[in-house]
Parts: sequence; structure tokens; C-alpha cells
Amino acid sequence: MLVHLQGPWTPLLGRLTLQQIPFHVPILVVTFIVVAILAAVVLGATTYFGKWGYLWREWLTTVDHKKIGVMYILLGLVMLLRGFVDALMIRTQQAMAVGPSSPGYMGAVHGYLTPFHLGQIFTAHGLIMIVFAATPLLVGLMNIIVPLQIGARDMAYPYLNALGLWLTTAGAALVMVSLFVGNFAHGGWYGFVPYFELSYSPGVGVDYWMWSFQLAAIGTSLGSINLIATIVKMRAPGMTWMRMPMFTWASLSTNLIALTSFPVLMVTLALLGMDRYLGTHFYTAGMGGNLMLYNDLFWVWGHPEVYFLILPAFGIMSEIIPTFSEKTLFGYATMVIASFAIGGVAWGVWLHHFFTMAAAPSVNSFYSVTTMLVGIPTGVKVFNWIFTMYRGRVRYELPMLWALLALFLLLVGGMSGMMNAFASSDYMWHNSLFVVAHFHMMVLVIAASVFGAVEYWFPKVFGFKLEQKWGKWFFWFMILGTGWVFVPMFLLGFGGMTRRLDYIHYTQWSPYLHIMLIGMVFYVIAVVFFVAHLYISLRDRAKNRAGADAWGSGRSLEWATHSPVPAYNFAITPHVNARDEWAWRKENGLTELHPGDYESIHMPKNTGVPLFLGILFMGLAFALIWRIWWLALLCVALIVVLIILRSFDHDTDMTIPAEDVEQVESDARDETSTAIRPAGVLGGTAIAHSTLQSGTGGISGSTSPSWTPMDR
Amino acid sequence: MFIKNKRYKMWAQMVLPPTLLTLGGCSNNGLYLLKPEGLVSRTFYHYFILDVVIMLLIIIPTTLLTIWAMWRYRKGGKGSYDPTWNHSNAIEAIVWGIPLVTVGILSYLSVKAIYDVNPYNPGVIAKVQKADGGDPVEVDVVATDWRWLFIYPQQHIASVNELVVPVGTPVKFRLTSTSVVNDFLIPQLVGMIDVMPGMRTKQALVADKAGTYIGYSADYSGAGLSWMHFQTKAVSAAQFAQWVKGAQKSTQHLSYAGFNRFARPYIAVGGDQQIFGNVQSGLFDYVIGEVMRGKVWPTPMAMTENMVNYMQKQRAEQKAGDY
Repeated sequence: MLVHLQGPWTPLLGRLTLQQIPFHVPILVVTFIVVAILAAVVLGATTYFGKWGYLWREWLTTVDHKKIGVMYILLGLVMLLRGFVDALMIRTQQAMAVGPSSPGYMGAVHGYLTPFHLGQIFTAHGLIMIVFAATPLLVGLMNIIVPLQIGARDMAYPYLNALGLWLTTAGAALVMVSLFVGNFAHGGWYGFVPYFELSYSPGVGVDYWMWSFQLAAIGTSLGSINLIATIVKMRAPGMTWMRMPMFTWASLSTNLIALTSFPVLMVTLALLGMDRYLGTHFYTAGMGGNLMLYNDLFWVWGHPEVYFLILPAFGIMSEIIPTFSEKTLFGYATMVIASFAIGGVAWGVWLHHFFTMAAAPSVNSFYSVTTMLVGIPTGVKVFNWIFTMYRGRVRYELPMLWALLALFLLLVGGMSGMMNAFASSDYMWHNSLFVVAHFHMMVLVIAASVFGAVEYWFPKVFGFKLEQKWGKWFFWFMILGTGWVFVPMFLLGFGGMTRRLDYIHYTQWSPYLHIMLIGMVFYVIAVVFFVAHLYISLRDRAKNRAGADAWGSGRSLEWATHSPVPAYNFAITPHVNARDEWAWRKENGLTELHPGDYESIHMPKNTGVPLFLGILFMGLAFALIWRIWWLALLCVALIVVLIILRSFDHDTDMTIPAEDVEQVESDARDETSTAIRPAGVLGGTAIAHSTLQSGTGGISGSTSPSWTPMDR
Repeated sequence: MFIKNKRYKMWAQMVLPPTLLTLGGCSNNGLYLLKPEGLVSRTFYHYFILDVVIMLLIIIPTTLLTIWAMWRYRKGGKGSYDPTWNHSNAIEAIVWGIPLVTVGILSYLSVKAIYDVNPYNPGVIAKVQKADGGDPVEVDVVATDWRWLFIYPQQHIASVNELVVPVGTPVKFRLTSTSVVNDFLIPQLVGMIDVMPGMRTKQALVADKAGTYIGYSADYSGAGLSWMHFQTKAVSAAQFAQWVKGAQKSTQHLSYAGFNRFARPYIAVGGDQQIFGNVQSGLFDYVIGEVMRGKVWPTPMAMTENMVNYMQKQRAEQKAGDY
């Protein structure tokens, strides 16, 4: 062994012993029983209904961007639930363990969770919500929608796409495994050094954290390469830069951030890994290590990551608000500039995550000002959304409600963000609940947009709308929960209460903590409504069938194909004439979805290799966590062999014959273009205006607009 | 009384007091940042209020504008419908202009505030010192896992988990940590500064008023963090001198070797306070030097995983004052 380890180690099982299975923690035993029963039910049902083949062919081996996107979103939702349960436990513990006389249960001095257990919970909560819930949800949405919005058949690299999904899933699975085998890191999702060094975190928890994080980072980087290539190279003819829908613009900006920042995270984690495995001293306090280095490197990724999450959310809002205002987006060019301004400034603000680390006042001043600069493009976006509604006809359907909630939360989050940027104030509440409440406002902006996006694009992917009644209950209870949890949290921030406390010494804070608990009850009810929402929607799907233009006032290209979208997206590659292409077509009576005269379509073929690579990478990470060297070597060897084998496989494509396309097209349920409700666009002027602009004011400005409506 | 039903009473108890207290502002509602009692924290408060007022000047009209647009231009409402309207130079100028000007003003204030409360040499304290020329009190702070050791190098005494400072006199801190990063915070007196192993940071404060203030570590440092709080007593100069004299009489001493035992992980569940009457000089620099040479006081696995058992064992082994 290269480093000194506390506890036993054997060549066969590494650090893994029977004691590492937490039989003695009742909460985990109950969780395990529940998970085991659920897994048995799912596996049993799959076998009983004979769906293994279907699952394998249609989902596990798929390279279809829509299915991969759906799986990303499912993963995100499952992990969102897990993260929510973590939040529930944190809130109950903090409400219980206030004051020296509060009782303790199950081995805790106060409350029912020991610092070790609570530490794992808040670490998992943070990591899961950021990396395994928000990121997959947004990546999934981009995966589904971007190719549709730009008229592509699939992503640029479908195989890479599947690999990204399975690597992220492997990371998420490892976090779940840590529940029942060993333990998770117990010191905050962004890691602290030297706290995360072997001396202070001797267990396997930090290794679990490190490797699952690493897998997700690799997965997300691969996804970002793919999305950038897709947006740059695979746009349909006629789609100039300045005709791209806002969500696609946001995706481009966000993935440029991801591609440039995730490698930094990988290096940061790798250096920590070297400290823990090889005994180097990158981040140790002594021996020439520098713990500030970690903070800098981590947040050089960490802050851009925040904008990686918020920009797609802004993109979603920029799609939903025009659709339900029945009006084109206000200030399109400004919105594009603002997206890239946010993306650019993202690189110059990371130090505000450690204003208290005693940097010189000149340094803190610089980062305080750059942080405030973020407020300018963000403010512009808010105003543009308001002016999109101005002179519109705003319909309050579910997606719009969510988008507006996101807008209001953004006002609160933005205001508190500007307060944090004020470094002298940040000194007072840097690690306090004020900051926690602020970034929860921002991630709730993301969450609200994601729920809006799911409502909005659901009919496009599945062919039926989600019902509205339970969805609205869900919506309102989310608001109730948010108010009751986060208003007291802001106040506690003014109280100076800090994060990650297992026990709260000052009883003055207990009323706020109890109010927050009431808020959590509202959230729990909201989750129940959400499940009911999904169940009722699925049950009544026949009632809620939707046509190509599910909302009647869709504007961008994704509404110009069938709902649900066929595997090849567009039977005939569309020719783009205007910025709001579908609105333009509706205006000019070009909504025919069955042009006929099909040609065969060249598509990528399914492959199981990404799934197996995901499993092998998970095995490798597991082996490294427990330091089972033989298993790690075996996994590496198998990974290399598999990659070589795949590189010799030239049979990776297939052709969908024209007659199959014709069959699919004629079977599509949303036959009639006449059934589409009027788009609410008057005259040809709206369109003429936007096309004129796209011809003149593009960033590239080179592609002249084609006035040919369609190929036929 | 309209609140008769027990359930209502419970709800009322949960909801009313915090609401009223929040509105009441200055009562003991636990909102410590809003009740500054020191020069530095008062400076923060001043800029904080300015910041909030300026921000609200933007946020409130924007919110009202949003609600107005949502109401006025709802489908079936009275607002005129013009789907072609998507650009206006005047509005563009305003929507870029307003944030630009606001951020400009706030940036100016922020930079000014940063220099005023700069932990290494707060502008506001420098001004006070220039005016009355008195000597500051020096305190060396060492954060261990998980206790605070306050060394008074001029007086050769040290105090555990209790900080005593004279009112109206600048107190200058030098801070370091033995193991991991902590954050030093006294909400009513002074903001956070990282306390890092193998490094020295600085902080300074002036207490306005005699009293006892809470203080704690604000950065996650492990299992004992929640109990890593200390009392700050601001007393008159005479009382401070008296306290120093009393402390110097303490028979407990702290040598370098003793410190190595003291710094082993220990969870101060009882808020354990202690006074050392004689501290070997140069202890603060010794700690930094040792950590830089690679000394660690590692956390035993049994301690992180089963804190309660470990504490019982630890208490049996180690009686307070055994250094």
C-alpha cells in the first residue's frame, strides 16, 4: 500500500468487510428493505410481462437522442426524489436538535442523526441535486429538444451520447450503492481540503464521492462535445445562426461552458485522488501542499457549472413565454448576447465562493464587481420576458405557470445574489443559511423551468399532454412549500445560523426551524400530487392526445413534426425560412405534415457497448473505492478490449427504407394539419419582420435567407 | 380570545411569535446580524441597508411591472394584441441601462465597504486608532478539532472556548488551525474569516457595548463542528485587567508538548471552557510551523463513525486540564 490506511485491508476484498454493511443503522436497514422490494417488483414485473427484450432493444441499447433524453430525465427525477428525502431528513434533524436539552435518539446526542450520518446526508443531497438531478434533467431536455429544434435526425455522435448517459448513470448508481455498502462523504458536496484528505476522512466515503463525481463529470463533458457539434454542424438548411431558437442558443452557450470547465473538475478530483491513493501533497496543509489550490480549482469549475445549469433554464423560459403569450420573443438578439455574456462572465467570478479566505481587498473588490456584472444580462433577460408578454395574449396553462414562477423566483434569487456579491455583507453570512436560501432560490428557478419544460414538451415526445388538474395542485403546493421553507431560511441567514449543523445551540432559532418543517410537509404533499399528476395523465392519455402543434401556438421547428416524434424526427429534412419557423409556416399555410414522396433514411444502429462500458466503469470505480486492485485491473483490461472491439465494428449504421418511413408517416396519429388551432399570429408581418432580421443581423451573417417555403 | 381550539393555539404559537418578532426587529429574536454591536458589524449593517434599498428600487417596480403585464395582457383581457412587436430601441436602452447604472452604483459602494471592513486592516478601525492612539489588544486564535484556543501573547495566558475583550479597544487577531479549515465568526461583532492550517489570517474588531456575544465556527470541519462555539465577553477595561490577573493565577500551564495533547480531536459537547495561566511563548508560530512540516492530528475512524461511544471513552481517559 502506498498510503497508511486506518482499518483492515485484504488482497481479495480490499477494504471491504462485513462491518461495512450498516446493519446497525435502522434507517438504512428500512431503506434497504424498501429498495429491495421495489427492485424485486420492477424486475418481477419486467419478467412477468416478458418485457426484457423490449427493454433491451428499445431502451438499454438505444442511441436515439429522444430515448436517451427520456432516460436522462427519468434518472434526474429518481435522483431528485432521493435528494428530496435527504432534505427532509436534514430539516427534521435540525428542527429536533435545538438547544442543549433536546433529546437524542439512535446514538445521536441530539435529534436522531449523528454528525457522521447527517454529514453523509447533506453531502449526498448537494451532490445529487446538482450533479445527478439538475444536470441530467437539463441534459436530457437538451438531448431531446435541440436536434428537433434545429431539424436534425439525431445528435452528431449518437454512440457518444449513449456513453454519456451510462457513465452518468454509473455515477448515480454508485451514490446509491454507498447507502448500503460502506458510507458516503460527510463534509459538503463541494469537498473541503484538507478535511477530505485521508487524515481527517479515513473512510471510503470521500472515495465514493470522488469517483461518482468523476464519472458524472466525464459523462457530462462527452454530452457537451456532442451538443456543440450537433448545434454547429447539423442545423437544417436555412437555419442560420440568427434563426436558431433561444433554447438552442442557450444550449450552445451552456455546453461551451461545460466543455471548458468540466476538465478542470476532473483534474481537481484526480489530484485529490493522488493525495488519497499515492500519498502526494497537493492539497494537504503541510509538506508544501496548498489547500487554497483546491478551492480555486474546484470553483473554477463550480461557478461556471452554476451557469451551466441556469442557462438552459433561461432558454426554456424563453421558449415557453412566447408560446403562451402567442407572440414572438422580445429582443431576440439581446437575448442571444445576454446568454453569452452570462456564459462569459461565468469564468470571472469564482472567487466569490471564498471571499472569506483573506484575499487582499483589491482582489475581493474585483470579484465583487464581476459578480455584480452577472446581474446586467440577467436583468435584461427578465425585462425581455416581461416585454414578451407585453402586447401578447397570455394563456395561463401549466408550462406558462411554471415559467412565470421561475421568473418570480429569479427576482428573489437575483436580489439575494446581488446581496451576496456585496463582499462586505458576504463576510457576515458567507457560510450561513442566507447563502443556502439564495442558491436554493436559483436551483428552484431551474426546477420550475424543468417542470415547465416537461409539461411543455411532454406531448411532443409522448403524443399526449399531461392533465392539468393535479399538475396545478402540484404547482401550488410547490409554491407553498417554497415560501414556508425559504422565507424562514433567509431570516435565519440574518440570524447568522450557519450551514451543515447537526445540533443548533441557540434556541432563538427554533421557531424558524419549525416553520421550515411545515414547509417540508407542503413539499411532501406536492410530491404526492406530482405522482398523481403522472399517474392520472398516463391513465387518461387517450383523452389528452395532442397533435404536432400540441399547444396550438408553438413557434419553433420541433412543432413541425409528429407527436410523438418518429425515430428519424423529420421524414424530410425541413427547410428553414424564418426564426419562428413553425409560426411562419402556419402563417403561410405550409403546415402539411404528410408531404409524401419519401426517401430512405440513414440512421445509427443500436449498440450495447455504451451500457457495458458504463457497467465496467462503475465496477472500476467500485474497485478503486474499496482498493480491490485485481478487480480494478480487470475492469480496465475489459474496458480497453471493449473499446478496441467496438472500433473494428463497421456495422454501426442502418437505413430505414422509404416504404417504412411512409408506413410510419401514414400511421402517425396527428393526421390533420387542419386540426391545428390558429396560431394567433395575425397577418404576415410578424414573420416578415423576423425573417428580415435574421437575414441582416446574424452573428455569422453569411447565410442568406432562403425564401423557398419547403422543398415541395 | 378567538383562539380557543388547541390546534389553532399551536399554530398560532408557531406562526405568530416569529412574525411579530421579525416585525419588532430589536427584541431577542435571534436575528443577530441585524443587531450589530461592534464597529465592523455596524459598518456592514450600514452598507447592507444601502444595498437592500437600492436593490428594492429595481426589484419592486420590476415585480409590479411583471404582474401588470401578466394581468393586462392575459388572454381575453383588455390589452391590445400585437404579435409583431418584438423590438424597441428605447426599451432596449432602458433594460440595459437600468441594470448597468445600478450595478455601477453598487460596485462603488461594495468596493468602499470592502476596504472599510478589510479583515487585515479595517478602514473603520484604522480611523479609530488614529484618533485615540491606544494600543490594541492582541489575540492569537488557534482552532483545533473542535475547540477554540484564544492565546493572549502579551499577557501569556490562554482561554479555551471563551474570548474576553475590552470594550472600545481594537482587538487584533491572528488566526490559524491545527487540522482543517474553520471559519471564525462573532455575528454581532465581526464577520467571517477562514482559519486555515499552516497559514495565518488576520481579523480585527472593536466592541461597542459590554455584553456576552455568541461566536462559532462557520465552516464545516467535521463531527464536532456543531459544538464548536465560544462566548465572547466584552467587558470594561478595568474588568479586562482584572480578568487577566485572575487568569494568570491559574495553575494550569500550556507548553508545546502540552499543546500536542490538547490538539487531539475532542468534541466540546459541554461547551468546555478552560483557562491557562502560563502559555509557552511563541506557541502560535510553533503551531503553524509544525503543521507546515506535515504534523497532523488525525481523526480516528471510530470517532467519525460513532461519536458518542468515542466521546465516552475519551472522557474517561482525559480529565480536563490534563495537558
